[in-house]
Amino acid sequence: MIGVYRALAVQQIQIMLQYRVATFLYALFSFVRPIIFLAAWLSVAASQGGRLGSFQRSDLAAYYALSILVTHLTTSFDFFEFEWEVRQGRLSPKLLRPLHPLHYAIVNNVLWKVVTAAMVIPVAVLVALTFGARFHVGPIDIVLGTVSVVLGAALSFVFGWVVASAAFWTTRVQALVHFYQRTAFIFAGQIAPLALLPGPLSAIAYALPFGYMLGVPTDILRGAHDVTTSLLLIAAQAVWLLVAAVLYRIVWNAGLREYSAVGA
Amino acid sequence: MRRYLRLLALFARTELQFALEYRVNLLLEIGQMLIVVVTSVGAVLILYAYTQAMNGWTLEQMIVLLGVYYIVQGVEELVLQPSFERFMEHVREGTLDFILLKPISSQFMVSFRHFQTVQTLQVLVGVAITVYGVARLAAVVTPATALAFAVTLVCGFVLIYALLLVLSTFAFWFVRVDNLLAIFWAFIDAGRFPIDIYPGWLRVTMSTVVPVGIAVTVPAKAIVGLVDAPTLAAVVAATVIAWVVSRAFWKIGVRSYTGASA
Repeated sequence: MIGVYRALAVQQIQIMLQYRVATFLYALFSFVRPIIFLAAWLSVAASQGGRLGSFQRSDLAAYYALSILVTHLTTSFDFFEFEWEVRQGRLSPKLLRPLHPLHYAIVNNVLWKVVTAAMVIPVAVLVALTFGARFHVGPIDIVLGTVSVVLGAALSFVFGWVVASAAFWTTRVQALVHFYQRTAFIFAGQIAPLALLPGPLSAIAYALPFGYMLGVPTDILRGAHDVTTSLLLIAAQAVWLLVAAVLYRIVWNAGLREYSAVGA
Repeated sequence: MRRYLRLLALFARTELQFALEYRVNLLLEIGQMLIVVVTSVGAVLILYAYTQAMNGWTLEQMIVLLGVYYIVQGVEELVLQPSFERFMEHVREGTLDFILLKPISSQFMVSFRHFQTVQTLQVLVGVAITVYGVARLAAVVTPATALAFAVTLVCGFVLIYALLLVLSTFAFWFVRVDNLLAIFWAFIDAGRFPIDIYPGWLRVTMSTVVPVGIAVTVPAKAIVGLVDAPTLAAVVAATVIAWVVSRAFWKIGVRSYTGASA
């Protein structure tokens, strides 16, 4: 298995080297939006004497600077390529190989994140410095935060594949992906840290999976929670990951039976 | 001039027929757009749940700004984006020859030939939001500020057009410039908030390099009388300069086009 992964990694690196500019350009989308909403929240905070609930200006900056990194590490982007493979019938040869198509996507996902981190990390540091972020982070937060980021990335990846599998039935997944991404836009912690979502929205966000892909790992990593709360949230992530994995198996197997290999 | 308007109507009609061919797709696209608008308005309301004014922008002013944002982005996605993307394809494949041979301005043909008809809806939604916001601001709107609003909005369109024309013209030398445009799309997102909330470097970028800040923020300020005469004059002057420069640059570009297959 290690040999297989090494071969896939070499192939993927060659593809990325060929499309260097495009590879790094997609990383732009990891940080443009967090910077926009950080600026917006800071001017709201300024109108309220520099404080919003439990958030000071430096906490908002810390949240969004870290969320640049977490957005990047937990993003999933396989929808359209999978749709394309289904539409063009390219999936068929892949299904004949003795390796589940998911493995290609895992290598692709991890490698892209590692390589483009070279661009995203400096931006996150720059944002943290420009906006005066202050972190109250102990070693335990870093450990728990890392676990949470990995779980968040896995959750986002598997859920992404559940959504992408819709291509078996509809061939076009754009509308569904769009709906999925806009729901995430509200509830994942993009437009606001989960604690700042007003009224029932915050509770809804903790009930849905989206917050566990971005807001929760970011909060744990910046030391916003005590250890017990962090562990509870990590457990919730694990539960959602399990749900997503089961969902994926069901959808994928049903989808394969539905798949008619366009173009074959 | 009349001939160009007639051609524009013709382009719009063919593209509408094209869009109506894929009805389910059209419905899905309309649904997507409504989701985007609802979630964006939701985002603004969430921010204003905590404050009366952001950097001096009241909720009503912010609603006007969001409306203008959708008008500007809608016009850009309605005609400029599809047309310029097709233009780059023409350069790559050498089919631009056919456009250059036509007995009309090739700049016109390249800029306005293709429409994403469904984006008309985005423009209309933008107009509706703007009208709603302006109605709630009725007390401070005068004929003078309404005129300033119209003038700055037109300037905004021209500025964005000029930038896109310059970026696209680079295709004559570098062929693949989709990436340049992708940077522009990434930045246009920042136009949804007033540029004065951004830190210095980003504000400068968004008012000079990517003029989306000016195109959205300035009209929204003008309607409530926050744009004084010198600023208005400066915006108009900058627009004229941008127009002249981009046109000259386009002409230089066309002259160095050699055709891909020739």
